[in-house]
Amino acid sequence: MLVVSQSHATPALRVRELTVRYADTVAVDNVSFEAHRGTVTAILGRNGAGKTSTIEACEGLRRATSGDAVVLGASARDLPASVRARMGVMLQDGGIAPAARVEALIRHYCRLYDRGVDAARLIDRLGLAALRTATWRRLSGGERQRVSLALALAAAPEIAFLDEPTAGVDLDGREVIREIIAELSAAGACVILATHDLDEAERVADHAVVLHRGSVVADGRLTDLCAGGKRLEDVVREVTK
Amino acid sequence: MKLTFVQMRMELSTLLRNYEQLLLVLVIPLGVLVFFGNVDVLPQGVDLAQLLASVVALAVMSTAMVSLGISTGFERSYHVLKRLGATPLGRDRLVVAKAGSVAVVEAAQCVLLVVVALFMGWSVGDVSWLPLIAAVALGTFAFAGVGLLLAGRLRAEVNLAAQNGLYLVLLAVGGVLVPTDDLPDALAAASRWLPSGSLAEVLNDAVSGAAVSQQAWLALTIWAVAAPLVAAKSFRFDG
Repeated sequence: MLVVSQSHATPALRVRELTVRYADTVAVDNVSFEAHRGTVTAILGRNGAGKTSTIEACEGLRRATSGDAVVLGASARDLPASVRARMGVMLQDGGIAPAARVEALIRHYCRLYDRGVDAARLIDRLGLAALRTATWRRLSGGERQRVSLALALAAAPEIAFLDEPTAGVDLDGREVIREIIAELSAAGACVILATHDLDEAERVADHAVVLHRGSVVADGRLTDLCAGGKRLEDVVREVTK
Repeated sequence: MKLTFVQMRMELSTLLRNYEQLLLVLVIPLGVLVFFGNVDVLPQGVDLAQLLASVVALAVMSTAMVSLGISTGFERSYHVLKRLGATPLGRDRLVVAKAGSVAVVEAAQCVLLVVVALFMGWSVGDVSWLPLIAAVALGTFAFAGVGLLLAGRLRAEVNLAAQNGLYLVLLAVGGVLVPTDDLPDALAAASRWLPSGSLAEVLNDAVSGAAVSQQAWLALTIWAVAAPLVAAKSFRFDG
């Protein structure tokens, strides 16, 4: 495994020997890494590498078979509401009913998180003003991703788990999402970004954890992993051979 | 508590915007009461009080089992429950919010049905209110348990068919519209132990001031305890 430089500050997310099994399949195998406030950590790997299972175990949505993740000081096995309130989540599969209307949905999540986020500003920031009354089923893939991101931002998150946020998003939409990720990080949030889009990761991430067949095969700062002018794509290709 | 009410409000507004659900929880029970209360097709001896008891049982079944079961099944398949589980609301408050919205809808149904029955000439004179409320509460637990048991395990489309199929079966031969005494012997014996038959029977006792059927109360209580327990044990939040 390739490990390069580690910070000693208290991490917002500490994953320790995490294993997730589904029947006979080991989706996540003894994974450990840390992610810090004010940084963007990309979880990289091919399809089926264990990215989503790792993230969902950290979000408390999937039970770990062994090991644990500590999120903002609390075990992911039983995250208290006070921690979930500071945690932004963007699921890969949306998690939204087809009949839900954009504005009502975002307002509802702002009320649920109760963190003082203004729904109207959020709608404007994500470029969703023209879609206020549209239902989820009528949105394009990119519009859906922006709505999902808005729901994660309703938490004014101290830690944000974003699973494939730019999948199916057009160039303008990608730019907006990229800006928002940078803003979150600049505001001190810890951003965990699962993606198989390596160009995207290279643009926004400070740190990368590469998974292959459920195990960590590389973990370090992007500047270190890509030292000597190497492209992230080549690094990932090399460690996942 | 605040978050539970926020979610409850969302549950109720979703229901009000869903015409199929409104048909199920309001139009069908009201339609059955008005139609069978004015058309002479029910077995002899079934009076308006008995009809009202049956329709209240039908309303409880519509709301606590079919409406809750179908909507929860689809929410599960769209990962809505999973997404809400990652908010401060969490799973426990989500369940309480759903239970609260069922209670609000049932209260509205009961008030509406009683008012319509009064206009049709029914008198509240013989009603035993405490058993009536207890019966509706037990029936709600029993049917919500059955509805969530199906919703928590089956694929959304299969669950939809199963809930509707069970609704029609219980409606026809479960002692709801046709009193258990008027069913063939074997069916009547089985129906008395079903949640529908036992609920209709205790409601009938409550609205007509008749003697309490201990077997019906026992059957209803068993369903009210067992069904939610089995549902809670087997429910999968993500499907």
